Amino acid sequence: MSNDIILRTEALTRRFGPFLALNDVSIDFERGKLTSIIGPNGAGKSTFFNVLSGSFPPSSGKVIFRGKDISGARSHEFAHLGIAKSFQITNVFPQFSALENVRVPLQAPLARFDIWSRRSALDLDAKAQALLALVGLAAHSARRACELAHGQQRALEIAIALATDPQLLLMDEPTAGMSPEETRSMMDLIVRLASERTVILVEHKMKMVMGISDHIVVLHHGELLAVGTPDQIRANDLVKRVYLGHH
Amino acid sequence: MNTSVLAMPARHPAAIIALLAHHRVLATIGVLLVFPWLMPNPSVASTILIYAVFALGFNFLFGYMGMLSFGHAAFLGVGGYTAGILIAHFQLRWWLAIPAAVVLAALVALAIGVLAIRTRGIYFAMVTLALSQCVYFAVYQLPLSGGENGLRGVNLDQVGPAALHISLLDPHTKYYFFLCFAALAFGLVSRFLASPFGGVVEAVRENESRVRACGFDVERTKLLAFVLSGAICGLAGALSAIHLSSVAIESLNYETSGLVVMICLLGGMGTFFGPFVGALLFLLVQDLFSLWTEHWQLYVGVVFMGFVLFFPKGVWGTLLEKCNVQ
Amino acid sequence: MDGITFELLGLQLFTGLALGAIYVLLAVGLSLIFGMLTVVNFAHGAFFMVGAYAGFSVYRVLPNFWVCLVFVPLATGTLGMLAERVLVRPLYGRGLDYPLLLTFGLAYVMVELVRIGFGKQGFPFDTPALLQGSADIGVGQFPLYRLFVIGVTALVLGGLWFFIEKTSFGLIVRAGARDPHIVRILGIDVGRVWLLVFGLGTGIAGLGGFLAAPMQGISPEMGAPVLIVAFVVTVVGGMGSLVGAVAAGLLVGVVESLAVLFFPEAAKVSMFVIMALVLLVRPQGLFGRAGLMN
Repeated sequence: MSNDIILRTEALTRRFGPFLALNDVSIDFERGKLTSIIGPNGAGKSTFFNVLSGSFPPSSGKVIFRGKDISGARSHEFAHLGIAKSFQITNVFPQFSALENVRVPLQAPLARFDIWSRRSALDLDAKAQALLALVGLAAHSARRACELAHGQQRALEIAIALATDPQLLLMDEPTAGMSPEETRSMMDLIVRLASERTVILVEHKMKMVMGISDHIVVLHHGELLAVGTPDQIRANDLVKRVYLGHH
Repeated sequence: MNTSVLAMPARHPAAIIALLAHHRVLATIGVLLVFPWLMPNPSVASTILIYAVFALGFNFLFGYMGMLSFGHAAFLGVGGYTAGILIAHFQLRWWLAIPAAVVLAALVALAIGVLAIRTRGIYFAMVTLALSQCVYFAVYQLPLSGGENGLRGVNLDQVGPAALHISLLDPHTKYYFFLCFAALAFGLVSRFLASPFGGVVEAVRENESRVRACGFDVERTKLLAFVLSGAICGLAGALSAIHLSSVAIESLNYETSGLVVMICLLGGMGTFFGPFVGALLFLLVQDLFSLWTEHWQLYVGVVFMGFVLFFPKGVWGTLLEKCNVQ
Repeated sequence: MDGITFELLGLQLFTGLALGAIYVLLAVGLSLIFGMLTVVNFAHGAFFMVGAYAGFSVYRVLPNFWVCLVFVPLATGTLGMLAERVLVRPLYGRGLDYPLLLTFGLAYVMVELVRIGFGKQGFPFDTPALLQGSADIGVGQFPLYRLFVIGVTALVLGGLWFFIEKTSFGLIVRAGARDPHIVRILGIDVGRVWLLVFGLGTGIAGLGGFLAAPMQGISPEMGAPVLIVAFVVTVVGGMGSLVGAVAAGLLVGVVESLAVLFFPEAAKVSMFVIMALVLLVRPQGLFGRAGLMN
């Protein structure tokens, strides 16, 4: 596998009983690029995201990350592989402060069953603050996660995902439920993040992702419809028909 | 932990409580040192202390990690029977019998944990209940356990070198003997909670799937917490065997498991003093109510339901909340 | 192992079915309540016990077994509905543990009330005259009453199946079991559904208690061991699966009865061995869905 391809899926298929959610999807994702996965509702985007991020294994086919077959890997191994994800439904630690939220994943590389050292002695606070600053939450580090505004919680989501220092960041509808202003900030953040690592984004706000993505993948009825740069996709007749048919 | 309350003038009740919470082990030991003098008699104090250790172990799993087990009587009972049988039938020294009890309770916790943690959350209460009932039947059949009548003759009269005359026949001495172990237990739990592992434990309570996504093996974490919890309850069982000079088969049954759940909820789950407060309250209420009426259990049950509905944080937890301490 | 004839085996098998029938009634009620309300009803054993006592009380005044048979599930079911409405419902939003804890407290209180009202000792309960004696079932004489219990259980299951598969209310129960949110969105009065399902589950438990009374007598503590069995059966069968509850209930009953023949000391532990095996091999239960309750 060439050095440029960080993630590849081969004939990825996923069934739920009789329902075929993903059918024979083979895609290469380039390292260092921002790739967005789009498609109308029911296209299989969420299923694809869930298989990529380890929520459940594929029914058949492979997921290959940096040359290694990770198709059956358990959910908690993904962070160690260098893949992090942010959830579609905000999934933070509600009663913890923002700082404590980010501190949790920072402990992962350390001795995980250390029942003796003092947590406060570990030098994690500085790193946690830095991550919060990266997503623009430096001022809110002491506030409880459940008290943050929706957009701030989504930013916290991302900070938690970044804490494991991933090479690949998977994001499932990061701007879900956000106001236009919050969406713009989030998009700026994503572009900043994409400059340092590979980002794969699942979105249905087409206009938005067209502007920022390097590559676009279009799914339809669980199958790969088209892959290309935003310009190529805009010019693609098949894609136009699928989207016009739905709107 | 929110330390801004510490800046208040020392006489402010919230500040005092915050101070206590910050130096929790010292505060606990301080209170426990004078405790027997506050109770009608030191024997009651010993009973409350032992229940507090039982609840401490349970609270680590339930209050801090969020796993509701209805089978913790198994660990209390195994600890009690192990120490009891070793002392009564094999005349083993207490400083071997008590650690043996703790180790055996931890092993039983490992066995039960491996099976129970495989299931998802909602099954956990049922599976732990069923497996602890299995332990009940197993111990009942064991010839050395005394079956229905329980184990008698767990006599530990003297500890330490004979020259020091540390006699456990004196209830005060007995209490302070138990306090040594209880203090150790409180100290260890406090250390566990302040460790990186403790951080993961509380995170699992807050959001298990997120913890998994962060790269932690949640199943192993749960298992370790379960074993530590069982070990501490085993210690309580061993102490109970020495305190009562006997072990009742009822210490293994469903009601005992339910008892520690009630104590923890009444006292305050997920707080450090909660277990002690709960044990104190429960046993005081039991003593008081049983003076008026033989149906004290009815009132305890109603009070418990009231707490579940209106004061889920328990007495100490609600107090902490009112004083705005994290 | 001598003396174990084919006939003895057959008779023991039927004993197992009768025992299993009671277990099935309990597990089905428990599964219904869990499937619809996501509540593990720790008071289920207490309702079982109250059913026995309710039947016993009415029988003393009006010695007609059939009247009691109809009255008991209605009475316990009503009590269950009252409990759901007043005590359990306020706790639904708060996380899985709180309704469970409440039902645990409720059981505690129910047992104490029965102790206060009827004393701690318990009572025997005679098999109704019509159902005394035994019948020849091919492999030997088998108590008529136990056949009756198997029959009533089959009838109740049949009625339940019809209700769930063929009526519109049953459709809601099935839909709700699949996805509680959908039911709410559809604008159906979910409160009424919860009420009725809880009443149905506890009513069946009460019926089980009354049916069990001639076989084991009644006592305030009869609910606890039976609750544990109900849990084991539910774990083995799969939470939320009615087919699983039936299959597992019968399995546990039969295995326990046969174990009495071969390994009497292990009979009581046999169901836990089954449960342990299921947990190791297929943790979601024989008929449970993997990933339920993530």
